[in-house]
Amino acid sequence: MPDILSTGSSALLAFQRMMATTSHNVANANTPGYTRQRALLGSRGGQDIGPGFVGSGAQINRIERLADDFVISRLRDSASELGRLSQLSSLSSRIDRMVSEPASGIAKPLSDFLDAAQSLSSQPASSAARSDFLGKAQVLAARFRTLDGQLDGMIGESTRRAETLVAEINTDISEVARLNGEVVRALAQGSNAPPNDLLDQRDAVVQRLSQRIGVTVAAQDGGALNVFTNTGQALVVGRTASTLAATPDPYDPGRRELSLLTANGPILLGSSGLGGELGGLLEFARDVLDPAQERLGRLATAFAQTVNAQHREGVDYYGDLGGDLFTVTPPQVSTRNSNTGTATFTASVSSVGALNGAAIELSFNGTSWSAVRQGTGQALGMTGTGTVADPFVVEGVSLVLTGAAAASDAFLLRPTAAAGGGMQVQITDPNRLAAANPVRTSAAVGNTGSASISTPSVLDASDPNLRAPVDIVFIDANNYTIDGTGPFAYIEGAPISYNGWEVALQGPAVAGDTFSIGPTPPRSSDNGNARLLAAVGSGGLLDGGTVSMTSDVAGISAQIGSSARRADLAREAQSTIDTQIQQERESISGVNLDEEAANLMRFQQAYQAAAQVIAVADTVFQSLLAAMRR
Amino acid sequence: MRVSTTSLFQQALLGMGERTSNLARIQQQLATGLRMSSAAADPVGWSTAVAVDRAVAELEQFSGNSTILRNRLELADASLDQVGDRLSRVRELSLQAANGSYSDDQRRAIALELRQQLRAVVDSANTSDGNGRYLFGGSADAVPPFAFGISGASYAGDQNRRSLEVAPETAVEDVDPGSEIFLRIRTGDGTFVVRQDPANTGTATLRATAMVDPSAWDGGDYRVVFNAGNYQVLDAANAVVGAGAYVAGEPIEFRGVRIVVDGAPANGDIFAVSPAPTQDVFSTIQNLIDALETPAVTPAQRATQRNAIYAGIEDLTRAQEHIIDRRAGFGARLNTIEQADAGREANSVLLKTTLSELRDVDYAQAISQLNLEMTALQAAQQSFVRIQNLSLFNYLG
Repeated sequence: MPDILSTGSSALLAFQRMMATTSHNVANANTPGYTRQRALLGSRGGQDIGPGFVGSGAQINRIERLADDFVISRLRDSASELGRLSQLSSLSSRIDRMVSEPASGIAKPLSDFLDAAQSLSSQPASSAARSDFLGKAQVLAARFRTLDGQLDGMIGESTRRAETLVAEINTDISEVARLNGEVVRALAQGSNAPPNDLLDQRDAVVQRLSQRIGVTVAAQDGGALNVFTNTGQALVVGRTASTLAATPDPYDPGRRELSLLTANGPILLGSSGLGGELGGLLEFARDVLDPAQERLGRLATAFAQTVNAQHREGVDYYGDLGGDLFTVTPPQVSTRNSNTGTATFTASVSSVGALNGAAIELSFNGTSWSAVRQGTGQALGMTGTGTVADPFVVEGVSLVLTGAAAASDAFLLRPTAAAGGGMQVQITDPNRLAAANPVRTSAAVGNTGSASISTPSVLDASDPNLRAPVDIVFIDANNYTIDGTGPFAYIEGAPISYNGWEVALQGPAVAGDTFSIGPTPPRSSDNGNARLLAAVGSGGLLDGGTVSMTSDVAGISAQIGSSARRADLAREAQSTIDTQIQQERESISGVNLDEEAANLMRFQQAYQAAAQVIAVADTVFQSLLAAMRR
Repeated sequence: MRVSTTSLFQQALLGMGERTSNLARIQQQLATGLRMSSAAADPVGWSTAVAVDRAVAELEQFSGNSTILRNRLELADASLDQVGDRLSRVRELSLQAANGSYSDDQRRAIALELRQQLRAVVDSANTSDGNGRYLFGGSADAVPPFAFGISGASYAGDQNRRSLEVAPETAVEDVDPGSEIFLRIRTGDGTFVVRQDPANTGTATLRATAMVDPSAWDGGDYRVVFNAGNYQVLDAANAVVGAGAYVAGEPIEFRGVRIVVDGAPANGDIFAVSPAPTQDVFSTIQNLIDALETPAVTPAQRATQRNAIYAGIEDLTRAQEHIIDRRAGFGARLNTIEQADAGREANSVLLKTTLSELRDVDYAQAISQLNLEMTALQAAQQSFVRIQNLSLFNYLG
């Protein structure tokens, strides 16, 4: 016969456990990653007493975890995306501020430099204007160096941050593997009841892992969770953990690339496809930082080359032809560490208009060379044979090959990445600034005709005879000789080019009229070259001559700004999604204290009632005893 | 929907955090006066603003150029104004001296004053630009460009013509080199000159010269030779191109040229007609001085002197015209500068307005948004304080 006492005590025990579960929920109301638990109550089977079954009390069938695997997986995906976008947006906005800020950007000093050139053209002989121009040139070069240095600093910082992340990810990976083991063991032990708190713990670690690198999971029979990267590489299989390693880049020991060390050897992870903070970090370096540095370097290269070319077309206050005003670091070619040949390259920029700036991989297949864009693998046209007379030319960079390459040797060409960091002003003496035209013209005072000669313009500053004195003498009203050669027919206003310069004559001439072209002497206050220097900023130069330097400056900040904005908008959107999923999870798995309080009261009352059942059983038993004692 | 206690707190905090970050953003906008603090806020607007910034800076620099150039041109104009005054005085004195009643001494006194005027003209031609450079030296302006001595005028400057940008695509020429102002001035009537042969012994003087038919003038050298009451016009090859009886005061015309000779030429006296060469203004004055300082006693000497003064005054007239022409050139450039200034200022106002629209904060909007956010934050805080107090546990026990 069913025993009231045993029924009552089973209820007591069951409600005690329910209260314990409720208290566990209350205790963990603020534990991150905790999933509320619920004890499932069931009735104990009945006993056939003839007319029917009499129940024998209650028991706790199981303590379940109120989790939704679908929500957890969405939460994991969201964490991966949010981790990636947070990194991308916070780092991008730092570069954005750096480039936008007038105190650290390029726009202001470049504008100041061009203004100083303009100012020099108004007072070409003034030592104040000359010093000011030189000062502005130094400020501009320093700004390029500083900005490039800051970008270098960010590259170093992201490398270090990636190394730290890799270490943390490795800890998480082995933690998941360990927990897999524990879960499997716990499940295998007898009752087959899920180890709720262990599962919470493992979910939390996987969630953190996803935030750091972005993972997908696959549950296994037996309770283990296999973890993969977004690109499908296994991080955890059962109780086996792989190790992530940051190894030196084959082209540049200062940079790191990621590989996964597996039993079958290392697998290169590449920089794309990864999620989480690590993915964001790599994406930032690849899509924002490197392009910014390359574009800045391209501007520095274009600027230095153009200004130098113009400066060489003028003469300074000492009457000498101008030299280079700026220097920048030339294109860098690095050798892959696995190369076996002896080939090396010397690179220089041959065409500013064709310059792109993005890294190029050069490889030798044993018979011919080919060039592809690093990262995308897009094939690039390369001409030439690599000799000094006929160098390889790819995207505006000339490459001269020395030594012999072996088959499958490869090189990395970074055309402009280092340019800005090496920008220097070559001239220290303000009087060395070439503000004047190298040649000047004059008409003999005794000329009786009324022809006049124009200001000369320089066509080829490298002509060795550029500054040789030359006379244009009219032998009659319609013919003239240059430097004793000729005669040539006189056409009013038509350009006359000789020795690298060009002039035009206007007005009727008379036999014997003489015009002279000669070198500009020292201490000239001519401003011809200063005016041309002031105009270099607005001429079409980059991207095949369609983009001027001043608009490129605006373009750089727009490019970085829109990267930062895109990342920020995406992060905001993801953060909203993440909040929603978190709410959803909280709604299912979170502890509501009011609910627990109500449950506590309910279970307390049930417990009291069960206690009362035991009291009744006792009374019944006492009655029986009393009857017997009689 | 079931709400967990934690999410209640989190939601409230999230809301308040968002409000606070909005407040910080608006506060920064109000403090800096800028709508954008970096390119990320509006990449397209920002890059436009960078370009407009450059355009504004360029216009400001052009305005500096324009001021410098205007000063130089005005300085040059003032110098030439003085030169013009000097030349007028020279002309006045020379006309006085041409009066036949003056004695040699009186003429020498006038010549003395002419010397002073000449020195003053040389000084004006060596005007400094106030920065230690010489206005009329072209681009070789480090040394005084003009010197005038016994051997005539020398010019140390060059003939370089400098221009300066005063507005986008607008370059204005700087002060002309001195060679174009003080040297290379046409003589005679600008086309031809008539000079008395130094060997003349008669009393013939030149009364007037004129170009009556420029199309007939061929620029050759001609001589008008007087002989026994007749004249002959010979060209360079001694071919006769005109002849007639000489009547004092009657015009002689050939090849489009008219000359009027007065007085009595001796047989073989010659007046040479040739294309006008150029001459510097200093020599023109010096020639007048020389003419006045040469003693004239005989009628032939007087005639020679009068002819020299006549030629000098004619040359002087060309010089005066030339100086006025140059000044007109300066005036035209100053006018261009003025127009460029006006255009530039209008442009600058326009660009700055654009810049402000692109970049500056709209205060009314920002302040009302600030108030809105503050109210919202307060409401969130108050509601949170009240909600977080609610718990069933408060009533247990």
